[in-house]
Amino acid sequence: MTTTIIWTIAILTILGVVLAVVLYFVAEKFKVEEDPRIDEVEKVLPGANCGGCGQAGCRAFAQFCVESSPNLDKCFCPVGGNEGMQKVAAVLGVEVAAKEPQVAVVRCNGSCENRPRTNEYGGYQSCRVKAALYSGDTGCSFGCLGCGDCVAACQFGAISMDPATGLPVVDEEKCTACGACVKACPKNVIEIRNKGRRNMRVFVSCINKDKGAVARKACKAACIGCGKCAKACPFEAITVENNLAYIDFTKCKLCKKCVAECPTGAIHAVNFPVVKPKPEAAPAPKPAEAPVAETKPKEE
Amino acid sequence: MMKTFSIGGIHPCDSKISKDCRIEVLPVPSKVFISVAQHLGAPATPVVKVGDQVKVGQVIAEPAGFISAYVHSSVSGTVKSIGPRKDLAGNNMTHIEIDVEGDEWVEGADLTDTLVTAIPEDNKEILDRIKMCGVVGLGGATFPAHVKLCPPPGKKADCLILNGAECEPYLTSDYRIMLERSKEIVVGAAIMKQVLGGCPAVIGIEENKPEAIKAMTAAVSELQATAKGYDGISVMTLRKKYPQGGEKQLIDAVMGRQVKSMGLPIDVGAVVQNVATSLAVYEAVQKNIPLVTNVMTITGDCLPMEKQHNYKFRIGMPLSYIAEYAGGVPEEAVKIISGGPMMGKAIANLDATTVKGSSSLLYLTAEQTVRGVESACIRCGKCAEACPMGLEPFLLNKYARNNMMDELEENAVQDCIECGCCLYSCPANIPLLDIIRLAKGDVIRIIRGRGQK
Repeated sequence: MTTTIIWTIAILTILGVVLAVVLYFVAEKFKVEEDPRIDEVEKVLPGANCGGCGQAGCRAFAQFCVESSPNLDKCFCPVGGNEGMQKVAAVLGVEVAAKEPQVAVVRCNGSCENRPRTNEYGGYQSCRVKAALYSGDTGCSFGCLGCGDCVAACQFGAISMDPATGLPVVDEEKCTACGACVKACPKNVIEIRNKGRRNMRVFVSCINKDKGAVARKACKAACIGCGKCAKACPFEAITVENNLAYIDFTKCKLCKKCVAECPTGAIHAVNFPVVKPKPEAAPAPKPAEAPVAETKPKEE
Repeated sequence: MMKTFSIGGIHPCDSKISKDCRIEVLPVPSKVFISVAQHLGAPATPVVKVGDQVKVGQVIAEPAGFISAYVHSSVSGTVKSIGPRKDLAGNNMTHIEIDVEGDEWVEGADLTDTLVTAIPEDNKEILDRIKMCGVVGLGGATFPAHVKLCPPPGKKADCLILNGAECEPYLTSDYRIMLERSKEIVVGAAIMKQVLGGCPAVIGIEENKPEAIKAMTAAVSELQATAKGYDGISVMTLRKKYPQGGEKQLIDAVMGRQVKSMGLPIDVGAVVQNVATSLAVYEAVQKNIPLVTNVMTITGDCLPMEKQHNYKFRIGMPLSYIAEYAGGVPEEAVKIISGGPMMGKAIANLDATTVKGSSSLLYLTAEQTVRGVESACIRCGKCAEACPMGLEPFLLNKYARNNMMDELEENAVQDCIECGCCLYSCPANIPLLDIIRLAKGDVIRIIRGRGQK
């Protein structure tokens, strides 16, 4: 009995040693030369493997960073943000310029109230399936389909569907601007925009390219391409193309003149401090007159 | 023993309620909107300007590529506007709006009922006329007919198959034209057969249409007795099974040959055309009439018998106008389908207009349309048994939900013909087709992308 155990242990030990020696030489012979910095960079990355950087996961991004070092302009990990990129730069011993923080923005006003349903969709609840079949259950063939493909695509739990409006809502705290939702949306409703000064943003919350009357009929809060906002903008940040206004977030100075001008309330201003409606003295235009922002001001 | 295709298939109730309704001609409305995308392939480019006077049969849009087709005006009048308008699915597409004034046809169009049996000898001229008249396949896919009739070099057609199966429940438009325009269809078949190099032609009709079989057989024998060039045309009775009218299924049923994965019918020497296409070819070649009309069925279980119709419509007529003319949308209808109940599309927008391939307005009731609650797959294999392409829908469903593209391709998701047999047979109400169709699109894009590298 004891001998059997001793023999077993002895044989397994010898076998282990022999194989270890073989493996050592094989590993030496077929060693893959890899930059040790890749491992180090990978360690400081968030490890979400979301692909938001444009690479196939965090390891590939680490490799990309090392390869493009010392110029890291093309490398940006949206999840780690500027802080994360500073860590990467520190590992590689280079400098990296800070990028504007960004966030996903839902550009659709088509709540149940604004955009009446013209038909009922009874098929599989997926935006992609729905988009492949037809234009959706409203008169607007551009806007949100409301099946929540973006919610499923978000790894960070930053998007949820608002049951009252039927539209997705982005949680700015959680959103890393990785762009997974942008790719998941078959209608291209979601856009990655700069977060803006103190998180304040002004954007056209509509992507309807139909002519004014058609767009208005489909949705009360659609952009009708009237161009009033473009005229009102002192910074030439707004362009109107194909009956649709677009605000360039790099040029917008958050003056909110366009918000006051928009006849349908398609332009949203979010996270501006709420000014209490004081009688008379308040300077015009009052932000309180602006359409209700889809994202509530941050609570602090 | 009657022939049918060898694998899969289902037997939905055929519900051909409107089969005894003669084809009526719809009056021309005061305004039509003609879409430039009435065929498979690139949308045509408009060649008229706002304010132009057009006649019936005048070209208003030209093909914008090899796989594309001419579009003709279906009315005479003035071009009012050219711009985006919502199509059947609610998506924007360029439409040409024409205000109707009178009903003046282009010169050369022969509007008489006389049957012209003498076939022109020059094949090139025939093909040219088919192309110039904008003839597309009217079996559903609206593939430009002249492209199909010119096999690529090195390939030869062994058989022309005319599809008179009309396997979709409810639809009766093909049935009616087989009864009322049988001889014209046979002439069309003879023309196409000659273009393809004199191969035999088989008209495949399902057994549930004995009248049509009789009428077509009589037409074939009469023409064979009285005119030249009609040898080798025959009528074949097929056992009733859906989707017999699928191109690959019909080739299997008639010729016993199977088209390879991602292959074309011509690879096995077959050319399939619908009977309605054959009629359009007859009108184009023998009568010089472009494809501006077709026949559609207005039907549904909730419609009383007197409101069931088969209409000869002109392209560009608003569907709402047709529905109104036919007696209005019944109250019980919760869903209107264009096409058959199996493969047709739900109409999201009744203001959309008819296109060359429009085949029906089918009213379905709530009871007929509500989907059951989805439950788990129990691996019963009914979907695999029903699939006429020999696929395993339950497996494809799993792969598709997990985005496993390599496995999807290995399991030939790209061969799916979207017939809906799997969805129809699934006892767990799993939306198999919805999911597989999406995966098929993705896989085909990947395959095409690979080819371009």
